[in-house]
Amino acid sequence: MSSISEMQHKVRQANKLRITNNDKDSEEEQLNMSSYSGVVEYFPEELVITLKAGTTIDEVNKILSKNNQALAFFTDDSKKTIGSLYATSGAEFSDSVLGVQIINGKGELLNFGGQVMKNVAGYDVSRLLVGSMGRLAIITQISLKILPEKVAVQFHKKPSIKNKESLSREQVEIKLKKVFDPYGVFI
Amino acid sequence: MSIISELTKALPKNSVISGEENTRPFECDGLSVYKQKPLAVTLPSSVDQIKKVLEICKKNNTPVVTRGAGTGLSGGALPLKDSVVLGLSKLTRILSIDPEAQTAIVEPGVRNSAISEAVEEYGLYYAPDPSSQIACTIGGNVAENSGGVHCLKYGLTVQNLEAVKILTIDGEELFFSRQDEGMGLLALMTGSEGLLGVISEITVKLTKKPQVAKLVMAGFDSVRDCANTVAEIIKIGVIPAGLEMMDQFAIEASEAFAQAGYPLGAKALLLCELDGSKDLVKEDLNKVINILSKASSVRVSENEEERLLFWKGRKSAFPAVGRLSPDYYCMDGTIPKRYLADVLEKISSLSAIYELRVANVFHAGDGNLHPLILYDAAQQGELEKAEGFGNDILKLCVDMGGSITGEHGVGIEKLDAMCHQYNSSELEIFHQIKAVFDPHSLLNPGKAVPTLHRCAELGNMHVHNGNLPHPELERF
Repeated sequence: MSSISEMQHKVRQANKLRITNNDKDSEEEQLNMSSYSGVVEYFPEELVITLKAGTTIDEVNKILSKNNQALAFFTDDSKKTIGSLYATSGAEFSDSVLGVQIINGKGELLNFGGQVMKNVAGYDVSRLLVGSMGRLAIITQISLKILPEKVAVQFHKKPSIKNKESLSREQVEIKLKKVFDPYGVFI
Repeated sequence: MSIISELTKALPKNSVISGEENTRPFECDGLSVYKQKPLAVTLPSSVDQIKKVLEICKKNNTPVVTRGAGTGLSGGALPLKDSVVLGLSKLTRILSIDPEAQTAIVEPGVRNSAISEAVEEYGLYYAPDPSSQIACTIGGNVAENSGGVHCLKYGLTVQNLEAVKILTIDGEELFFSRQDEGMGLLALMTGSEGLLGVISEITVKLTKKPQVAKLVMAGFDSVRDCANTVAEIIKIGVIPAGLEMMDQFAIEASEAFAQAGYPLGAKALLLCELDGSKDLVKEDLNKVINILSKASSVRVSENEEERLLFWKGRKSAFPAVGRLSPDYYCMDGTIPKRYLADVLEKISSLSAIYELRVANVFHAGDGNLHPLILYDAAQQGELEKAEGFGNDILKLCVDMGGSITGEHGVGIEKLDAMCHQYNSSELEIFHQIKAVFDPHSLLNPGKAVPTLHRCAELGNMHVHNGNLPHPELERF
């Protein structure tokens, strides 16, 4: 997918859609995000970078290191895309998230958070969707807080072992999925 | 039985306050232009008692407004008519401290600075430091995702939490932790302004006290030079613990109030705190001093006493400016740092148009502005003028790619400004998130997220790609 309107169209047409990073052999309809990549905006003095979801960590690191800056979270696989990390990570990752652009299950393009360090207007949707496994919305664009290389190193801890899901969390997550994806498009 | 007698029966003696006079201390929070007395105020002292209050309120279909210390600046804890205030100031126990893991488990009514005091013996502290930290509670901090002067390096409340326990309106206890797999529910709860649940227990992350802290104070003859220096400091790879800026009006007011030794006559003042190991601070200090060529005066704190004195001016800026005017209105917009100088110029021209003075004090490092608009509420129409000025500043922040609030929250105050920052589909998502946790809208209803109707009436609905959202809605 290379454009937002194409993605929106696909969401509106599809019955079921799986967001991926490669074309797997599958019965399901897929949305491959890997070609939707690149830097949208990068201002080193702001300590903020905005990326399209298909951008790989390798690409990001290359750009940041030119300015002696780095991502503030640990990742053991730099071939991964920022979108897939977003979908599968926890709080260590979301600490860096400042904003997202998403397409919800109705095909609407929405923005939450922004490109500033501090923003407490509205619920923190840009961090809520971290770890949502691509089942709530297509994450098209992510803004991240970055750090000078030597400062970032101290944040590069390996994430700790995760708790198993609790029953109450499961109930809440089912309801929240319906908020973003009322027709159950994303699988 | 009336709800007041039900509550009185269910709670220990002296835990329910009602009547005109008795509820007066709870009629507002830190934003005192809005006042409303509630039906009753409850002051439970245990989680079981909170559950009882929620149960009785739910049964009677009565809204609940949760309150910490009432120091919030956006009317988040403003009582609603016919609501019950749930004051958590009696839940002040520190339940456990784990110096090894650098965490502490606390009740919601524990004061922010009481946490740091309790863990001081381990060389630890709780990093977020809103200026009300002596009084404000940690529960309120979580509800507002509070900031402070050290956010650039140490983060807001959300980055300094390990876990929270939440009571839903149904009395169900939810536990969300940093270690959880799945959606970011801990982050969702943080900053939810009392609309999703009642925060009943908090595990905070503690930070090691830095070996040294030095404060650099630099005066500038031009606001633009000062603002550009902020960007320069970040560019050279230094992350200051605090990076604050004040304009001439704020410098003079603060100096008269605190005698901190600020350079009178300077157009702008930069305060840059560097902390960490001795070596790191020395290295960073050299780097920063080197780029202060455009400053008209530079001083570095010689000792701890002087560092605190330099801070004292900044930290007393609000009351200092308050002395010069019968009333002032504090804004909280954020912008990308590269627009600092432009936005300050725009604010100054708005000040001329509205004929209201404005003092600027702000967290420059994270682009969080706190313009203080001076007005006199006794003068007819002046409050409305101040609010109009404030709204223009917030719109300006949004148009520059920023936000209407960096750390004070939306509350009752910024509902109109929310219509400018979010379109109706985005607001609708917020409403539905609330309904997931609080389907009958009993927790702090009407705060934080404006109704679509309100935004449509305002007529400044966000328009995406020329398409008016919800064309079916009537517009007035």
